[in-house]
Amino acid sequence: MEDPKDLRVPDPSATEMLQLLVDNLRDYAIILLDTDGRVLTWNTAAERIKGWKADEIIGQPISRFYTKEDVEGGKIQTELKSAAQEGRFEDEGWRVRKDGRRFWANVMITALRDKDGTLRGFGKVTRDLTERRNNEEKIKRQAQEIFEMAAVPIVQVWQGILLVPLIGTLDSQRSQQLMERLLHRVTETRSSVAILDITGVPTIDSQTAQHLIETVSAVRLLGADVILTGVRPNIAQTLVHLGIDLSNVITRASLASGLGMALGILNASIVAKDPTTNA
Amino acid sequence: MHNFAISVIKIRDVLLVTMPPDPDDSTISALQDKVLTSMEKFPAKGLILDISAVETLDSFFARTVAETAQMVTLMGGRTIIVGMQPAVAVTVTQMGLTLGNIETALDVDRALDLTAKPAPLLKRQR
Amino acid sequence: MSEVPPSGEMRIGAETDIVVSRRTVRDAATQFGFSATDVTRIVTAASELARNVFKYAGEGVMRWRHLETNGRVGIELQFVDRGPGIADVEQAMEQGYSTGGGLGVGLPGAKRLVDELEIQSEVGSGTTVTLKKWRKT
Repeated sequence: MEDPKDLRVPDPSATEMLQLLVDNLRDYAIILLDTDGRVLTWNTAAERIKGWKADEIIGQPISRFYTKEDVEGGKIQTELKSAAQEGRFEDEGWRVRKDGRRFWANVMITALRDKDGTLRGFGKVTRDLTERRNNEEKIKRQAQEIFEMAAVPIVQVWQGILLVPLIGTLDSQRSQQLMERLLHRVTETRSSVAILDITGVPTIDSQTAQHLIETVSAVRLLGADVILTGVRPNIAQTLVHLGIDLSNVITRASLASGLGMALGILNASIVAKDPTTNA
Repeated sequence: MHNFAISVIKIRDVLLVTMPPDPDDSTISALQDKVLTSMEKFPAKGLILDISAVETLDSFFARTVAETAQMVTLMGGRTIIVGMQPAVAVTVTQMGLTLGNIETALDVDRALDLTAKPAPLLKRQR
Repeated sequence: MSEVPPSGEMRIGAETDIVVSRRTVRDAATQFGFSATDVTRIVTAASELARNVFKYAGEGVMRWRHLETNGRVGIELQFVDRGPGIADVEQAMEQGYSTGGGLGVGLPGAKRLVDELEIQSEVGSGTTVTLKKWRKT
């Protein structure tokens, strides 16, 4: 059984200073709740983080700060009960401001008992970690991108020619990401040709084949040509049997001949521009 | 507030039509009329449709483009679509939308170079 | 880009509302943290459905909602009208873009852009199309 916590009475000036501290903390919303979870006190940070003014929120239940899903799921009762039983409850999750916007919060609820052990209410400290979470997500995305780039590089082998050496198999998500990356690179580098080399792809299933053809279509919509190189006999068979429409795809047996063709395409456009040659 | 207007310019012997960023349905419909009227006035070898500002290309827009390209083909011209945004290309492809009898180019410059060369014999459906 | 509340509703009653719904959905999807390409997918799907509401029912409502369940974050859009309704939903979903005109053009396409698309329709009563897309974690 837990010892009841004392509520020691500090001397008056320390109380004043403590009040000043609570009032002036910018980043920690510190509020007191009664045993039913209604707001008893409010501080500056609480107004800043949650949007409510003191006179608007005192007396209201804390369900005001929770998302609809959480309220319906009985999360508040669970949290208060847990705090009452364990002494404290800590959680990270979405909370709601007065204007309805969500923020990512770190929440600590502490049960406050007098020296008889009677529950008098709760203390709740909330921090807004939205920015930290956004930064973490951004870093995760960038790490994922770097991982992707290492897995399937898109190499600019010549001014206007991109090479994508595919290796192994591509699942649906990776194919999707590759398509998006390739399209961006074509736009960024103003490349006229993208060479997709599948020498390193041993087999292909119908989904991957579909993604491959989608990638080809999308690149061509941008205005660049696609050359598919290194198609192995078994893959050629699979593609034909799947009835994949290959009329839009230029193919060459080897990467080298693909590159040669790409240079030819570039050359032709240079020649067309130059009025001194009779092309 | 967005400018909904389509701009039509004649450059050399082609029509350069520039679409605004988020055209409403009547503006999209106006595309066909504008192209046809312009081609009546100035005989043009073709149409360069600049969609580099366009952020959303749905089935209505796609169908209008395909129909316009078909009309241009019937009048003996070609249609080159320029500057499709990557996100739009992904969406058009995933939806399985077809833009019909068109060619594509990265920018207006290259589209003009294309028109200097003869049109490909078998225009591949996109 | 204007800030959009996590849920809301707008009326579709004029042709220009199709553009307004695109902009609203673009703002919402961007705010909810979707990637640029996913935002375009969602906006394009919304454009198809908003146009269907306007063309076949004359007017209706678009609702949007921020989804957050089991750590997944996403968007839900709902298009409701009291139009003629779709007699055969399955057939409407199979209709390819190439059949041109007719109800449901763009509907099968929109389905490919999102994670879930559900249609409830009754001839003479109206149609409700609900779509969901989740952010990739």
